[in-house]
Amino acid sequence: MDAQSEVQLGEKLRNSDPDAIAEAYDLYGRIAYSLFVRITRDHSAAEDLVQELFLRLWNRRREFDATRGSIGPWLLSIARNMAIDYVRSAQTRFQSRLRPIDQTDTLHFSYKPNEPERLMDAVKAVQEALADLKPNQRKVLELAYFEGCSQSEIADRLKEPLGTVKSWMRAALERMRAAAKGEAKP
Amino acid sequence: MTHPEMNELYELYVLGALEPELASEIDSHLAEGCEYCVERLREATLAAAAMSGMSEQLEPPKYLRDRVLASVRPRKQSSQWLYAVAGLAAACVLLFAYSLWSMNTAQSLRDRISVLTQERDQLRSAVEVLSRPDTRMVQFGNNNAPRGRVFLSPDGGVVFAGSQLPQIASDKTFQLWLIPAVGPPESAGTFRANAAGEFVNVFPGPVNLTGINAVAVSVEPRQGSSAPTTTPILVVSIG
Ligand SMILES: [Zn+2]
Repeated sequence: MDAQSEVQLGEKLRNSDPDAIAEAYDLYGRIAYSLFVRITRDHSAAEDLVQELFLRLWNRRREFDATRGSIGPWLLSIARNMAIDYVRSAQTRFQSRLRPIDQTDTLHFSYKPNEPERLMDAVKAVQEALADLKPNQRKVLELAYFEGCSQSEIADRLKEPLGTVKSWMRAALERMRAAAKGEAKP
Repeated sequence: MTHPEMNELYELYVLGALEPELASEIDSHLAEGCEYCVERLREATLAAAAMSGMSEQLEPPKYLRDRVLASVRPRKQSSQWLYAVAGLAAACVLLFAYSLWSMNTAQSLRDRISVLTQERDQLRSAVEVLSRPDTRMVQFGNNNAPRGRVFLSPDGGVVFAGSQLPQIASDKTFQLWLIPAVGPPESAGTFRANAAGEFVNVFPGPVNLTGINAVAVSVEPRQGSSAPTTTPILVVSIG
């Protein structure tokens, strides 16, 4: 996926071309489905959520700036929120704290026009970098990412001091950040 | 907070894992339009999205692509309901298998046949509802509660199918109600769930759906009731 094809995808979306959804699905359907299964542990729920995700993309198609590739990160952020909300729908406490990405503008998900869209490369790099994490670092990252736990909730869950959790988290995120930016191991 | 301090927090911020006080401090800083931080936020968003790669990569079922595309394309009725019918048929097969399994050996063959015929007719009327152009579908439920679909057609009737209903005593039944904006609930049939909590209830049409806001399920005595006698265990808004 290069910047050019993301731009074209954005244009098709804005022009209400249904092929855009086919293209977006071919690019991100697999990873979104995997994410939904991982969080919900339920294949049929994951299928429903995938359908809803791409429907949301379609319904918001006019908001994507055609000069900026921004679709993949937006989709995956929404997907994570949807899945966590789904699992925790009984717990309203949580819904109020999750960042309501869906309502905010798409600014955070936009990139400079000449910057290649690197999401799928970043995904691969993150997958490889996981191997560098210590088990504790990986655990805190998974609790934050897949279950939406705050650092103090993670400390409670793992019965570890908050300071310890924060330092594991800091190290884990530093590694993920470097991987996503395409930097070599620190 | 200083920039170096904030720098460490953007991924947590994007993931919603930051303590609320810190998050609101970042909110107000971003509101000032700091370009450096907007850039960091973009990076953090990309990193967070890339972290979806931490999940084991699975291949979605082949039909999912068609289902997704069908949901955004101009409606083609047949493909629209195909998946729903497939799911319903699967549920019926389960019920069918369950009723075969659960049948007392003392029951006569005639009883068995009558049950099977009844279920076959149910499936037929369900397919009849699902294949109508005016049929509307509402999905309901989540992981830890009853979930499924309601299909509504003024001429065809109402099909209510899903899973995860609780087990009830053998002298009780589930009863489906149509809840109007004004006036008393109207019965839309009684039904039971199988041992796995799966259920299909077909209420043949024509049915007046004007002014119906919701459907609800209550637990009633085996023969059903003319009005709900217990608090509904499930209410699905169809407005
Ligand atoms: Zn700043």
